[in-house]
Amino acid sequence: MGESGRVLRHRAPRRRLNLTAARRRTPALIGCVLALAAPVYIGAATLIGRRVGIDAGGSTWIVPHRIDLAAPDAEPGAPPTRLRIPSLAVDTALETLRMDGSGVLSAPEVYGEAGWFAGGTVPGEPGPAVLAGHVDSKTGPAVFYRLHELKPGDTVDVRRGLVQPGEGGWLTFRVTASEHYAKARFPSAKVYGPTPVPELRLITCGGTFDESSHSYRDNLVVYAVLQ
Amino acid sequence: MFAAPQRRRLAALVAAALAGVGLTVLDASPAAAAGVGYVRLAHLSPDTPAVDVYLSSVSGAIAQQKFDAVGYGTVSKYLPLPPGTYAVAMRRKGDPSSAAPVLSTQATVEEGRAYTVAGTGRFADLGLRVIVDDLGLPEAGTAKVRVVQASVKQPILDVAVAGGARIADGVQFATTTSYQTVEPGRWTLRLTQPGVTGTATTLAAQLKAGAVYSLIILDGSGGLTAQLRTDASSGGVPEGGVDTGAGGTAGEHGMSPLLPIGGGAALVLLAVAGGLSWRRSRVRAAAV
Repeated sequence: MGESGRVLRHRAPRRRLNLTAARRRTPALIGCVLALAAPVYIGAATLIGRRVGIDAGGSTWIVPHRIDLAAPDAEPGAPPTRLRIPSLAVDTALETLRMDGSGVLSAPEVYGEAGWFAGGTVPGEPGPAVLAGHVDSKTGPAVFYRLHELKPGDTVDVRRGLVQPGEGGWLTFRVTASEHYAKARFPSAKVYGPTPVPELRLITCGGTFDESSHSYRDNLVVYAVLQ
Repeated sequence: MFAAPQRRRLAALVAAALAGVGLTVLDASPAAAAGVGYVRLAHLSPDTPAVDVYLSSVSGAIAQQKFDAVGYGTVSKYLPLPPGTYAVAMRRKGDPSSAAPVLSTQATVEEGRAYTVAGTGRFADLGLRVIVDDLGLPEAGTAKVRVVQASVKQPILDVAVAGGARIADGVQFATTTSYQTVEPGRWTLRLTQPGVTGTATTLAAQLKAGAVYSLIILDGSGGLTAQLRTDASSGGVPEGGVDTGAGGTAGEHGMSPLLPIGGGAALVLLAVAGGLSWRRSRVRAAAV
């Protein structure tokens, strides 16, 4: 017993000592562990944070939001009021042309004046602005009599708005092509179809005159782009 | 300056690209206009710094054009150009025009057709892509729109009309969808990540009948962003030509009935001569 008691004693104080040492060491150990671990934890937290960030970028980067896109085109400008073709000595006011009930473009009422198709593009805006004029009247030449003489590189001027002669407001277009089409096979999509830049289409008649229908068989179309 | 094996590899790539572009062109609708084709330039590579872009005509048909400091997301206006072959070169911003380009390519512009020459991909594998734009007239009373995917952070997107039809699934970075016919007016698009429901970026835009649009999806600072570009627009489309003559000068103003035949023949010749021959080369400046 004594032995054991000693032992026990020995052990007991040792145990107590051990416990005491452990009690003393524990806070130090915990402190050390914490001190050593803190940067790891912080690092891990940072890494986790980063990983979360990366994940957010990779998998849920589409954040619910709305984007309202402004209309890419500004308001259309003022309608054209005058046409000038220096090389043909043409200088004319512009009538307003519309489509008739069957969708056909009406011709200008006055033989000496060209007209602008108001249901289409305003000259200077992206798209094909259409100007039509007669080649002749019943008795002689009309405003676009010499249109077939235009060749690539020639210029065509269109004035927009109600400015006084000699003032600004003129747009200069450059002729790129002149093509002839039978009215029966008129390529509407090509002539009136979308274009990426502001363009002009000058249209008149050509080919042979069909006495029975009182009309020319062909159309001449001059293509021009804004300079 | 150019490693020979690289050039051979490029030649193979070019051949493949040619086949692709050729098919695209065959599919494209007939174009408007005559006498010119159209080219615009785009920078769609998010991590590539701004570049100076040079456009020059191989035949000297136009003076060299320079676009300064073109940055990510920039899409230039279209330039109407005489048909022919053009060289496009991208140089580091501020480099002299004599400096070796970072990238260059050649593109043949056909009459009435439109092209977007785009720097695409990440900077590490940056390439110049020639995208054929479709200027064909949309069906009566409709608009046409396509999506150009230029977001790296969200490299795959599903695109659908809000509450409506799917436009395209799994649109990859640096690709475009084909043009879709849509109703004009206010139009809302949903961009989602494949397989993820609930979160979407919605884009609202006003579309005009008779117009053709490209919607360019880009990386923004806090999410996707986008630009809507009008590729082409038209107003009303009358039926056929115009009756613009009363016959007073019939037979005297020198319009030979042979003219239309001549014009037709010339068009056929042009079409044959203009058979698409894209020659793409990717030229990387060695040790810039």
